[in-house]
Amino acid sequence: MAQTIEPVESTAAAEEPLLRTVGLTRHFRLGGMFSKRMLHAVDDLDITIGEREIVALVGESGSGKSTVARLLAMVHKPTKGEIYYRGRSLRSLRSRKNRLWYRGEAPIVFQDPFSAFNPVFRVSHGIKRNLVLHRPELGRSERRREAERVCEAVGLSPKMLTKFPYEMSGGERQRIGFAQALAARPKLILADEPVSMLDVSIRAGVLNMMAHLRDQEGVSLLYITHDIASARYVADRIFVLYAGHLVEAGPSETVLSEPKHPYTQLLLSAVADPREKLESVSADTGEPPRVIDPGEGCRFRWRCPYAIEKCSEVTPRPTSIGAQQVACHVAVAEAQRLSDPAGTASVAHS
Amino acid sequence: MAEPLLEVFDLVVDYPTDTADVRAVDHVSFTVGQGEFLGIVGESGCGKTTLLFGVAQLLSPPGQVVAGQVVFRGQDMVRLTEDELRHMRWRDYSVVMQSAMNALNPMKSIGAQFKDTLQAHGSPSDDEIRQRSAEVLNLVGIDPVHLKSYPHQLSGGMRQRAMIAMALLFTPQLVIMDEPTSALDVVAQRSLMNKIKELQLSLGFAVIFVTHDMSVVSRYSDRVIVMYAGQVAEVARTETIFDQPLHPYTRGLMSAFPSIRGPRRELAGIPGTPPDLARPPTGCRFHPRCPEVMPVCLTKPPDLYAVGGTQVRCLLYAEDKEKEAV
Repeated sequence: MAQTIEPVESTAAAEEPLLRTVGLTRHFRLGGMFSKRMLHAVDDLDITIGEREIVALVGESGSGKSTVARLLAMVHKPTKGEIYYRGRSLRSLRSRKNRLWYRGEAPIVFQDPFSAFNPVFRVSHGIKRNLVLHRPELGRSERRREAERVCEAVGLSPKMLTKFPYEMSGGERQRIGFAQALAARPKLILADEPVSMLDVSIRAGVLNMMAHLRDQEGVSLLYITHDIASARYVADRIFVLYAGHLVEAGPSETVLSEPKHPYTQLLLSAVADPREKLESVSADTGEPPRVIDPGEGCRFRWRCPYAIEKCSEVTPRPTSIGAQQVACHVAVAEAQRLSDPAGTASVAHS
Repeated sequence: MAEPLLEVFDLVVDYPTDTADVRAVDHVSFTVGQGEFLGIVGESGCGKTTLLFGVAQLLSPPGQVVAGQVVFRGQDMVRLTEDELRHMRWRDYSVVMQSAMNALNPMKSIGAQFKDTLQAHGSPSDDEIRQRSAEVLNLVGIDPVHLKSYPHQLSGGMRQRAMIAMALLFTPQLVIMDEPTSALDVVAQRSLMNKIKELQLSLGFAVIFVTHDMSVVSRYSDRVIVMYAGQVAEVARTETIFDQPLHPYTRGLMSAFPSIRGPRRELAGIPGTPPDLARPPTGCRFHPRCPEVMPVCLTKPPDLYAVGGTQVRCLLYAEDKEKEAV
């Protein structure tokens, strides 16, 4: 996967997406210092996030989706691969100033709004601290005005700023989390399961607020979730992750109306729809995948109803089928058979 | 449903605090028939777990039942002593807790925990214990070799299924479940729900299933109770509640989760936040968030009104003269 590094000022920068990962890989060592057992959290992941776009990263627990968020937030360093933010590799951000700049451009919002705030400070503290760090040019009164503005942008009254976290509900706290992120004038907000801890009646409001941030504030969002229905609701594009591999990607509507990968199909069939009737018991018990020293091959093959011999030998790479990208030997062969019945073209894999 | 298995009359549970008593369960009544699957739906803080603990007599101080009866097979469980209750637990009714990670003892193998439970209600031989333990694990679809496994060696879904297996050791008539699927992934959740339903149909026990996620309960329950702020907001058969939700809160809940099929429509959610039970709103407890609020709602607490087969706590369905009475 050879990629040349575009300098920031090159003409290619115009077409460069906001954020792009190339072969992003992160392994964790298990056991002691000399242990050889490696947990493959994320393997060879290529994703892009454009301007003013909500991109959903969907997967079950253990799929590596939170690791991706942490890699993008520079909490972890990638084992292999590169992350380019506006054409600039994150590896090149070495100085404290540069890292601070990036953290202001791409802040993270955490899953649990009940433990993400310091309980002894008023909520204005976190917002103002971000303003001091990332926008030092602002004076005291400008900071106050700006704190009120971000508060209103996330749908809260500025009066909330003087409250303590314990005085607020989960939904309000999560909005403050977004306000805090917004204070740094970001281009990209990394939201790691922002609604999963919230009550059902509150979730819709936070999801709508995310769409509002995209439309009004012009930020992009990486929405990490296990709930594919909410991903469909709010995201422009969806990436489906399984055991650290990208299995399917594309525009939300296409991926969900015509899922090509058997895992996406399974995920969709598992979503409870209240209007649907009870049907036969599915055999799949939702066992988590094996990601410790997984070796070559498709990681879904143990649960896959269509697995063929090739699946245990060659790791499928994401291949374009129409607007989608699918990493599945069977689905790709099927698409090729349909578009080329004579079978003259050979199946291309990298 | 000739004879109800469990009848709850006007149950009231309070948590006394220094400033005020928090009434987490406020005059709740319901029945569960033999072999019925009852869903209880509500948001966090609506008192659903407290209600369930009140029914199962698992409340720990300061929480206490201050009024009401829980009649299980003709006995009022509120009046029973701890000793009498201990004989009934696991054998006549069992409780599956929300998080199997915390409910199983991490220091003991699954088999040893099954053995404890079996020995608490008789003195079976080692062979009988082994046989019964293997039987119930098979029921929930776990290989009996896992009797030797410790909880950390099992996945979340398997632990939760092991908990259910434990609850079925004596084939009780009533199994109470407190959000058993909320810590699981969608695929595992679906598979576990199917398993519970399958076992319920084949073994014929009744289930009280508490959840915050309406879509989980929809396909499996016979009847649904929607709770709001410690009170029953609406009770109806599952189909009725999904086809014709009456209470504005139920309607809000129904439109709050995105659908995977059909056109993408704007989700409204419910504005505002659930009330603080230490200071519940006057009148109808839902009025500060209600889109159809009337002046009378601010002062008059609604009763449960029968509309068709549904019972609903909303003044929209009250007799006209009652609305004007205030």
